[in-house]
Amino acid sequence: MDWFFYAVALPVAALFLASAVYALVWASKNGQLRDFERGAESIFDEAEPIGQPTDSFPSKSAPSVTARRNS
Amino acid sequence: MASASSLAASLDPGTSPEEVHRAELSEIDASTKAPALFFLISAVLWLLVGTATALIASIKMHTPDFLGDYEWLTFGRMRTVHLNAVIYGWSVNASFAVAFWLMARLARSVLRHPGFLFVAGAAWNIGVTIGLIGITVGHSTSIEWLEFPPYATPLLFVAYALIGAWAIITFRFGKSKHIYVSQWYILAALFWFPWLYSIAQIMLIFEPARGTVQALVNWWFAHNVLGLWFTPIALGAVYYFLPKVLGRPIHSYYLSVLGFWSLAFFYNWAGVHHLIGGPVPAWVQTAGIAASFMMVVPVVVVAINHHMTMIGNFGALRYSPTLRFIVFGAVSYTLASLQGSSMAIRSWAEVTHFTHYTVGHSHLGMYAFFSMVMFGSVYYIMPRLVLKEWPSATLISAHFWTTSVGVVVYVLALSVGGVRQGLAMNDVDNYPVFLQIVEMTKQYLFTRSLAGVLMTVGHLAFAVNFTWMLLKRRPADSTVPTLFRNPPAMEVSR
Repeated sequence: MDWFFYAVALPVAALFLASAVYALVWASKNGQLRDFERGAESIFDEAEPIGQPTDSFPSKSAPSVTARRNS
Repeated sequence: MASASSLAASLDPGTSPEEVHRAELSEIDASTKAPALFFLISAVLWLLVGTATALIASIKMHTPDFLGDYEWLTFGRMRTVHLNAVIYGWSVNASFAVAFWLMARLARSVLRHPGFLFVAGAAWNIGVTIGLIGITVGHSTSIEWLEFPPYATPLLFVAYALIGAWAIITFRFGKSKHIYVSQWYILAALFWFPWLYSIAQIMLIFEPARGTVQALVNWWFAHNVLGLWFTPIALGAVYYFLPKVLGRPIHSYYLSVLGFWSLAFFYNWAGVHHLIGGPVPAWVQTAGIAASFMMVVPVVVVAINHHMTMIGNFGALRYSPTLRFIVFGAVSYTLASLQGSSMAIRSWAEVTHFTHYTVGHSHLGMYAFFSMVMFGSVYYIMPRLVLKEWPSATLISAHFWTTSVGVVVYVLALSVGGVRQGLAMNDVDNYPVFLQIVEMTKQYLFTRSLAGVLMTVGHLAFAVNFTWMLLKRRPADSTVPTLFRNPPAMEVSR
């Protein structure tokens, strides 16, 4: 069954490699590898801004980052 | 294609952009609620099954007579049921829930036709149930990590294909222009797993490769499931929750992208280090060792990045349950990975291979890293899904301390015991007696069982808190700190 293995494995491997290259090229063309500052900040918005912790133990509230720094 | 917040579109055109935005987020979270809850409930149930079988298997290691009269409770079956229940039951279900919730949020995309995900989820869990029953009655394939009998696996594959396709659709219809690093990790993981699973199934079960190639494929699969499926899912979660909980962007986004691509490049070959000293060509082993050491690059990059984000904010660990689990997991990731690289050194592998040391290492990776990150993610996601607060802070603390102390004791006991075991077995000049070495390791195995009891207590605390949260009534005024404060008029009823 060697020929079967090579006939399946080689195209699959080539396809896999091609998809990785495609992903990298696409990311580069799409500007995903530029402007890293914006990338890091993309998970924050007006409703949950930078500087505001979003998790705490139930019925205990976390002080904001700035308040904790000053204390 | 519109990404579709129909609720936002239906609002009065004069509504402020912020309110439109909140309505959209509320709708996105609501769309993930039913499937995410389904996966999370399944995960918690499998976690309990996996814990019970783990305890049975662990006790049998030092007290072999324990439950010894039933063939379906023998060590070979219980240990295997434990592994498959925690991997395909707990870990994969938790991964699905966390991955989908994150994907929908980060892509700003409503989850479409969640009914299909239910079908996929049901198929997956039925497949796991059939597989575990198959192992219990003695139909295990005896191939590590692929013990499910062949009649269970096609169902798993179909379920997985549906889930992968759904993630792509969610991503494709997303509104967010930027792909956050967590999305890279999750998309890649969803793409890699079916490839690994199908190749391994074909080459090991349906058309088995001969000779040492079989062992190569086995370890290529077993190690890549850790590195190319569980690791990217958990790292994606850390990269979202760590900055999100702190309210502080990740230290260096550049490093996070570098970490992702170097993981993608180097991991694939690392699994060969399980066969060091085995009858596979020396160059293959050397390539495996080299790949294992190249993994230091992504690991150190990720560690620096997470540490620099945390620095100056360690006080927040007191306030946030999510952060405690996530930081514990992230630190364990660094330790487990560096330990893994060191275990690829030939002279060190001679000592540690085939000892309890390896078992300690795998629990450092799958439990102290992966499971802890999943626990932390569940603590963050659940209040936002059901719009209720966790009922008991005490149970959360109990969960954290029992599991973290438990797993540290577990790993330390097996590491020390494993090294002593390995050194004793290699000491050929003094004619080692195998049974004496077994007797020597018993104290470490007993300690492992005690640690297991601690972790069981933690899992029970988690399960009780989880169930209590699902059952308790939602208070009228549910604007507690961990919830989004959506204006009531814009909340999708759920």
